[in-house]
Amino acid sequence: MTTAVTNSGATYTRTAIALHWLVAALIVGGFTLGLSMVGLPLSRQKLQWYAWHKWIGITVFLLSCVRLAWRWVHPPPPPPPAMPRWQVRAAHWAHGVLYVLLLVIPLTGWLFSSASGVQVVYLGVVPLPDLLPKDKALAGVLRDCHVWLNFTLLALVCTHVAAALKHQFVDGDAVLTNMWPAAISKPPR
Amino acid sequence: MVLLRSFIPTLGMLLLAAGQAGAQGVLIDRSEIRFISKQMGVNVEGRFRRWKANIVFLPKDLAASKADFEIDLGSIDLASDEAETEIKRPSWFDTVKFPMAKFVSSAVRNTGTDKYEVAGALTIKGVTRDAVVPITMKKDAAGNSVAEGSFALKRLDFKVGEGEWADPDTVANEVVVRVRMVLPPVK
Repeated sequence: MTTAVTNSGATYTRTAIALHWLVAALIVGGFTLGLSMVGLPLSRQKLQWYAWHKWIGITVFLLSCVRLAWRWVHPPPPPPPAMPRWQVRAAHWAHGVLYVLLLVIPLTGWLFSSASGVQVVYLGVVPLPDLLPKDKALAGVLRDCHVWLNFTLLALVCTHVAAALKHQFVDGDAVLTNMWPAAISKPPR
Repeated sequence: MVLLRSFIPTLGMLLLAAGQAGAQGVLIDRSEIRFISKQMGVNVEGRFRRWKANIVFLPKDLAASKADFEIDLGSIDLASDEAETEIKRPSWFDTVKFPMAKFVSSAVRNTGTDKYEVAGALTIKGVTRDAVVPITMKKDAAGNSVAEGSFALKRLDFKVGEGEWADPDTVANEVVVRVRMVLPPVK
């Protein structure tokens, strides 16, 4: 995009863009699956959906680690110069909390599963260690944590999307286009 | 006996073998009956909250030794309330008709240093099968004997999990039962 080039010349790498949208798709899928699976009657299908939900969660955790490492080596483009200081600060914190949630939510899910006495076997192949001994009361607390952190994530993702749309349609800057998948074919790397 | 009595009030389940000079009881709150089943390849652990045991362990008189259990199947502790409700239904344990599982030992054999085998009859849901439980005996710091053992049973032998749940690809046929009993020393 012309704006992006004239503004800073910097944008996200193809890898960063691909990882962003992959994780976005996984959290939408994992969240929806999580909401739907709890209401199913106990059945083979329910067990299968729980397994998929856990696999998605572990994948999000792993990809988020990769993203953080990648981000460390390839810093994201700077905010548009016209962006007010408080917005820059708010965006910085919002992104930080998003990353924390992407790591902590899968962990609370894993802890919840362990405390329930249910092993997590990633992709049905890799058995993960039980982080806690079976403890039903603790499992209940961890379940509530997992649920509320997810609704916090939902609220934050909505804010994230709203802010991106505001940048695109109100501010007319390159914040959204920098991260748009179409940009994958344009910039290097 | 006085020492033992302190363990009784909480669960009231301490049974002493009657009429046996060397009788031993079980420290119920330090003992456990757990099991691991596999659901779609994933280990799921559970345990029983209430059970009774009548255990006599006399290393020098194994013929007089025994280990009898009565397990309240409705006291099962599983992954979720939903699973606990489900397993009490007729297609699983059918706890209304068969509230208790039983194990009655018939022979205790020495199989090596601190190793024993307890053979007996296991009854679940009205079905009785022979079972052999290998046990390892240890002493803890307080001088109690700690018996640990595990054995595998086939749930379908006992009609546990019928109908849509009979498929062993969903819930494996084999269930591993782990027993840990803490037996106070003979007075």
